[in-house]
Amino acid sequence: MDRKDNQSPQGETARILVEFLEVAITSIVFLKGVYPSGAFERRRYMNLVVQRACHPQLRDYIHSAVFGLLPFIQKGMVERAAVIFFNTDGIPVERFVFKLAVNQSYGSKVEDANLEFSLRSFLIKLSVSESLTKVLPRDYRWEITAYFRSLPEASANKDVEQWIPTDTRQWEQPPLLTPIKSMSSEPLCVQLYIEHPSLSEPKP
Amino acid sequence: MSMESTRSANSAKRSFNNNSNSASSNSNSNPSNKKKKTSQKTLGVAWGSNSRSSSRSSFSNSPFSNFGSYMVEKNRKLQNQFEAEASTSSHGGSGSVKPIFDGVSIFVDGFTVPSSQELRGYMLKHGGRFENYFSRRRVTHIICSNLPDSKIKNLRSFSRGLPVVKPTWILESVTANKLLSWVPYQLDQLANNQPKLSAFFTLKRSSVSNGASTHAPCQVNPEAEDSSLKVGTSGDTYFSEVSEPFEHSKQISGESDDLVDENSNASLVEEPANSSGKPCEVAMAVPSNIDTEDESSVKNYLQSNHYQPSALVSSNCINNQNMKGSPSSTVSEPSNQSHSTLGDPNFVENYFKNSRLHFIGTWRNRYRKRFRTLSDGFNCTSSNIKASALKTAIMHVDMDCFFVSVVIRNHLELRDKPVAVCHSDNRKGTAEISSANYPARDYGIKAGMFVRDAKALCPHLVIFPYNFEAYEEVADQFYSVLHKHGNKVQAVSCDEAFLDVTDSEGDPQLLASKIRREIFETTGCTASAGIAGNMLMARLATRTAKPDGQCYIPPERDSLQKDFGLKTGEMLWNYSRGVDNRLVGLIQESKSVGAEVNWGVRFKDVKDAQNFLSNLCKEVSLRLQGCGVEGRTFTLKIKKRRKDAEEPTKYMGHGDCENLSHSTTVPVATDDVEVLQRITKQLFGSFHLDVKEIRGVGLQVSRLESTENSKQGLERNSLKSWLTSASARTEELCKNNYVAKESSNQGCEGEGDETLGQLCGNSVGLSIQMDSNTSNGAACLNEVSVPPPICHLDMGVLKSLPPELFSELNEIYGGKLVDFVAKNKGKTENMNHTLRAYSHEKIEGAMKEGQAALLPSMVFQNEIPVENKAKQHIAKEVPAVSGAESFVPASGLTKTDLIPSSLSQVDTAVLQQLPEELKVDILEHLPAHRMQVFSPNVLLYPTEIPLEALGTKTAENNSGSKDFVLDNNLWFGTPPHWVEKFKVSNCLILNILAEMYYKSGSTGNLSPILQCISSVSIHQLDAFQDGWDEAMYILCELLKQYIKLKIELDIEEIYVCFRLLRRFAMKSEFFIQMYNIVYPYLQALVGENYGGNLHMSLKD
Repeated sequence: MDRKDNQSPQGETARILVEFLEVAITSIVFLKGVYPSGAFERRRYMNLVVQRACHPQLRDYIHSAVFGLLPFIQKGMVERAAVIFFNTDGIPVERFVFKLAVNQSYGSKVEDANLEFSLRSFLIKLSVSESLTKVLPRDYRWEITAYFRSLPEASANKDVEQWIPTDTRQWEQPPLLTPIKSMSSEPLCVQLYIEHPSLSEPKP
Repeated sequence: MSMESTRSANSAKRSFNNNSNSASSNSNSNPSNKKKKTSQKTLGVAWGSNSRSSSRSSFSNSPFSNFGSYMVEKNRKLQNQFEAEASTSSHGGSGSVKPIFDGVSIFVDGFTVPSSQELRGYMLKHGGRFENYFSRRRVTHIICSNLPDSKIKNLRSFSRGLPVVKPTWILESVTANKLLSWVPYQLDQLANNQPKLSAFFTLKRSSVSNGASTHAPCQVNPEAEDSSLKVGTSGDTYFSEVSEPFEHSKQISGESDDLVDENSNASLVEEPANSSGKPCEVAMAVPSNIDTEDESSVKNYLQSNHYQPSALVSSNCINNQNMKGSPSSTVSEPSNQSHSTLGDPNFVENYFKNSRLHFIGTWRNRYRKRFRTLSDGFNCTSSNIKASALKTAIMHVDMDCFFVSVVIRNHLELRDKPVAVCHSDNRKGTAEISSANYPARDYGIKAGMFVRDAKALCPHLVIFPYNFEAYEEVADQFYSVLHKHGNKVQAVSCDEAFLDVTDSEGDPQLLASKIRREIFETTGCTASAGIAGNMLMARLATRTAKPDGQCYIPPERDSLQKDFGLKTGEMLWNYSRGVDNRLVGLIQESKSVGAEVNWGVRFKDVKDAQNFLSNLCKEVSLRLQGCGVEGRTFTLKIKKRRKDAEEPTKYMGHGDCENLSHSTTVPVATDDVEVLQRITKQLFGSFHLDVKEIRGVGLQVSRLESTENSKQGLERNSLKSWLTSASARTEELCKNNYVAKESSNQGCEGEGDETLGQLCGNSVGLSIQMDSNTSNGAACLNEVSVPPPICHLDMGVLKSLPPELFSELNEIYGGKLVDFVAKNKGKTENMNHTLRAYSHEKIEGAMKEGQAALLPSMVFQNEIPVENKAKQHIAKEVPAVSGAESFVPASGLTKTDLIPSSLSQVDTAVLQQLPEELKVDILEHLPAHRMQVFSPNVLLYPTEIPLEALGTKTAENNSGSKDFVLDNNLWFGTPPHWVEKFKVSNCLILNILAEMYYKSGSTGNLSPILQCISSVSIHQLDAFQDGWDEAMYILCELLKQYIKLKIELDIEEIYVCFRLLRRFAMKSEFFIQMYNIVYPYLQALVGENYGGNLHMSLKD
């Protein structure tokens, strides 16, 4: 809690957001049943029961990926962060997209409680969204991808290096979106939706 | 809440996780844990450290035989962890943290704010305990914010009698740095439930009334409470609430004379005095009384007379019998029934009129009214004398057998004879004696005894009926005396009070005797007094002093002093030592008001019952009004005869009963009879009982609010704001209407008239209405009887008025209009109203298609050119123009000179709204006529009107729309513009939408509105033909604007809306069309923003 005092409201918001993303992404991975449920343990976050990965590598992957985004989010460079599930050919099957917008010029103090209330609704909705998702094929993999508004220039910061430019394989047709949850409050707007390949997408 | 804190809390809970964070906390806790153990023997078995390995080993060492033993082990482990942590946190933190929660052990149930982990943290820090699993033995308080209905209904099995408290209790206790009483923090859902005995003891200044009012014991064994019925000798008869339950249980068992009304009572009291030798006088008195009574009570009266003689001196008995012989015979046996609810329509009324306990109960309200100023006065001072507790002197004054002595105060000859007060003196009666004087008590007669038992003990016992008027009079005199001598008087009952005589000069004993003497002189009744250091002792002293004496108990300060200042938990201990720190204060506010009848309740059928209920409601409503309160929670209590119960010993009593109760809470407090009746009937219906089984009915109103407060609140909260907003709205509406009407009127008048040409010279608008509308327009003008304030007048309209009309208006405004127009001339004005008027007209016109051939009425304020050609163009577009054709050329002639000198004078807003062809025409035409003027002006104002931009903008604007105007911001404002617009529309579906906006809570989001609509049957929305296209157009526009507004930030909302719309579309032709129009637009925008299409699954 001490950290709060010496940070700007944006910094604080970004930190909460990143924290939230870590939890949310873990929830998605849990939801999709990527790993056996024994690989997760019940935790409490924002007064909600959530899952947390037990395996250190998995936990570290999510944690470092998301916290690596922190400086970019603070600068407002991250447009979307996605959890992509793809098959063995590298073709995405399902993508969970977080669309982010942080109001950089928002000056006043962030109401923690309000923000928490909104973010909590994501986690609640997410936990009941399984019916909206697709059954994944065998041997699929997943990754976390972020879409930047512009490519960051090389920086001395070590954290930044963890994020490398990539190009995921895209669908040929525009995907179908299923919104899960949106929140728009000052200074933070987050939307979560699932992307599925369009019905007319050529099957591999 | 930061992740940090959550983590550490979590790590505390689970010791065997392996993140570094918790490891460190474990290593921290271990040493102190051990330390704790050495100091605390209670921990018993060595449990080892909290480390993973040891817990493992202990796991294997003690294989759990079953789940139970596992839980025991687990609980113990959790407990150890908690203690370990508690010791670290108290050691680690500043040592000054007070263990305020000492002895408190909480169990958190369900979701709370703050979370259970935080609460746990507080308990850790402040010396409390936290249980992870509920146990009746270890837990002292249950903390929760919300309970499911099932738990509420079955509260006892859920809470096991433990207090259920909101988490704020803990927070505020921490803030206050002391343990606050949990009672005010009781869960709201339970607050209306009856408080428990424990509440009674913990509450420092507890409302005794409340505690006692609930108690079943009062009802179950009336015998035990008998002594307390002897008014003033026991602590339980304090307040009105208390008296209520007593009423239920021991409701005066008047055998037959329960319904004697007051008048007859009065006469009875007089009689004995006169009776000895003049029996005829009695006889005379009776008929005269009858005259004054209404018919129902006549019967009762007669009947009571039938029994009355034996109450009086015996010589009268025969006489009376004789006199009354004939009438009483007619009403002998069967009429007994009339006392029950069966026969008497005024049962409830009479019941309470004759209830002594009702008298005591309602007495408090009378007292408060009478001595309001006095008690208010000392209320202010009562708080600041806490400190001087040592020297306080409290006097308790109590009238000696009040009910008897008041009645016999004028019968000196009866003073030393055994006398009792009771409803009936039937020798064999089961009426209960409510009060007996001391000679009678010597015979062993006690209050609450049945008359037949009393008569058996003392055959010459004289029994008097009640005389409520006299009681009231004496009580008032009594209090006048008390208020004269002490400025701090706390009324306990009508005949009993506490005085704080700390501040009065002189010996309190002298004062007491003075007061007693005065009471005797004014009332003719004796009183006893007790003086001591506190209320409890004073009261006990009075008991010793009785009858007609006084007693002083000198304070044993030394022994008591050390008990002062102890916590509320030890209150009981204190009481047993005779310590009571309460100050003399005001009577507590009533927590509930109600009425209950359980004597003589017998119903034949449902109608009877309903009838009785509505009378009961009347009574309760009167009581509410009498107390000046309104209530929100209504509890209906029913006594239902047990299956195997026999007819009760007590005549018409309730016998062995099951007690049932249902309650309901309404949002707005009320004391209205009709509301009460409605609610009560509902509640009654929910019992599903056979009415013949009902033996008692009670209605209790709680959650009281003062009438004045609620009225004020109402005014402040809703009425005023509603009024202002409404007036604002109507004003605006008026304005709009006014403009519209004016312009239409002007159109009518001007049609084919040269004056219009002149008007146009001024600026303006050509509005052409139908001939058929002429009279209409004029009428409308007349309707606007009150002119709007001058500042609200629209310049455009004013200018366009025909001269006659203008001068007329000018007259109305006393000549100010001319100045106003002059001042405003040349100023640019907001186009909004005129435009709105225009579109309004337009829609109206469209509705009347067939009869209406129309031209757009363009009201231009800013000297806008309306080109001749352009006009003809419009004329061509609209076929069957009747008046227009003749008109257009006429105006056209004058028009050619009206083209402004430059484009900069053209209002761009208007220009944009024009149909494209028309606009192109204007733009083309303008340079042709005034090229030389135009071009330099463009140079002069390049930023103001970039021509290209204008062109493209208009093109865009027109691309999707038809040829009429809509403002682009339907969703602006609260409420959004469209709501107003739709409300005044005469298209059903638009009206419904506007209505739903308010119904859905005015959130400004569309999805709640649509959800509300889905509750209306959709297909009926199709049932309109007029203005289908208009409605379709405007709704599509609304949706499009909404999509635009939300697409970027709230795709979820849009998604929800469209799923609802699609559901509507399945049932409604209209919505299918609309959906099909808007859907492509939606997908295009989604594609633009998200690079995909919304997935409208076909499942639902």
